Amino acid sequence: MPSDLALRRVSARRAEWAEMLPILAARTALRFGPPALGVALFLAAWQAAHWHYGAFILPSPWQTLLAVWATLSSASGWAALGATFGRVGLALGLSGLIGGGLGLVAGYLWFVRAAFAPVATILLGMPATAWVILTMIWFGPSHGSILFTIAIVIGPILYIGTVDAVLTRDRRLEDMAASFGASRIARFRTIALRQILSSLGPVFGIALALGFKVAIMAELVTNVAGLGAQMARARAHMDIDLALANVALAVVGLVIIEHLVIRPFQTRLGQWKRGVA
Amino acid sequence: MSGLTLATITHSFSARRVLDTVSLVIRPGELVALVGPSGCGKSTLAAIAGGIMRPDQGRILRQYQRHGMVFQQSRLLPWASARDNIAYPLTLGALARAEVAARTNAAAQAVALLPDDLDKLPVQLSGGMRARVAIARALVVEPEFLIFDEPFAALDPALRRRMQDLVLSLAQARGFGGLFITHDLHEAARLSHRIAVMDRQGKGILGSLTPPGTPGARSEAQIFDFTQDARTDPLLHDLLNVDERAVALDCACDTLGFQRCC
Repeated sequence: MPSDLALRRVSARRAEWAEMLPILAARTALRFGPPALGVALFLAAWQAAHWHYGAFILPSPWQTLLAVWATLSSASGWAALGATFGRVGLALGLSGLIGGGLGLVAGYLWFVRAAFAPVATILLGMPATAWVILTMIWFGPSHGSILFTIAIVIGPILYIGTVDAVLTRDRRLEDMAASFGASRIARFRTIALRQILSSLGPVFGIALALGFKVAIMAELVTNVAGLGAQMARARAHMDIDLALANVALAVVGLVIIEHLVIRPFQTRLGQWKRGVA
Repeated sequence: MSGLTLATITHSFSARRVLDTVSLVIRPGELVALVGPSGCGKSTLAAIAGGIMRPDQGRILRQYQRHGMVFQQSRLLPWASARDNIAYPLTLGALARAEVAARTNAAAQAVALLPDDLDKLPVQLSGGMRARVAIARALVVEPEFLIFDEPFAALDPALRRRMQDLVLSLAQARGFGGLFITHDLHEAARLSHRIAVMDRQGKGILGSLTPPGTPGARSEAQIFDFTQDARTDPLLHDLLNVDERAVALDCACDTLGFQRCC
């Protein structure tokens, strides 16, 4: 037999939950409701377009999902995914090292900044398609040519982002550190780097998204293994289901990577910029 | 010994001379307030005294081992908690974690920070609490000399007064000397042993005024009478009458610090 005190505790806890539940439900609805509504509207429009144009022009969301499942059920599907994601990851790392490293040097040294400014402008102005064609001629349709194309397109973005991050950091904090005897290296390590990395989060997000677009485009043109090559095959066979499945895989993959890698990076290093809720 | 001597300090920014043979002697244990109109180079002199920058010419003689500095707008690391901000100067050395923690807690206690506030980010603290954290950060190095660069300029009068009381009590308890940069004559009269007046174009110290008694022991009436009398002193003419519209654009102070403030 539960004691009177225990019964009272249970009923108090129940009353607490009864009060909290509507609040929690409202919070959840506010957090996930608008995005869910947006996705539902998009799918509804897609379905309506499918009914209007027919399956040959635009497969339904359900047909696309089945095609995605079919791709993910095969080893070749995973190989294509791995090839594209691997290339983007490698190119992002390479561009981060070269573009970010040069940006760091240029941010601190005005001479390097002035010398690289026109080069960065020219590289940023070059259309990605032009690089695809050029690298195909230079290196042939290979893994290296796609890697180079992605790196050369996103490298200047990371360079400019890093230069901007260095220039817009709060130097008064470094003055504060200097007043306590911090060396140049200590000021860079404990203050400047933290600010630079927090500014680079969104730049990395943009570079990642652009990297995916360029990778798929380059794979499509060069017909080297990857999601782009799968799309080229789908185009050749007029397989609209497979084409859309690959588009969906690329988008979902990008969203997953952004939430697994970029967002935690931004949250960890840039939360203070957005303030605390 | 905690004195500071700045001898014939000259400094220029982009070929524009902001300090021209400025000399100032602060005796051991003496708290000197430095006043002067905006853009006269007070913050630059504080930065030179604090070792943030080297003067083009002149000598600095420090009769102490360690100094602390409290800045305008606190200059706290926005990503670090109040506790980590206070501990920051200690993390630059090779102190053991336990000692860093103990000294951080002691500094926080000295400025009456609540334990709950120590885990908050600067953005979660009020202006007064941020000022307390900045003072605690300066105290954590156990300084023999403190440099204040208009630390309370952005606070409301009541809070400002409480911060001044805090500085007074700490100075009395620890006996450190210091340089206190301010625009406010009342604040200078309340906190300092002596008020040095800087030339509006940074061409030296025009002279000094000495309020009656010692800081912390002066009555409000004494401070009021002193500031009223001082207003008629020609030394303070520029401080009280300078028209900020007459200050050249490249000399206009934006209150953000020495590099942007001549």
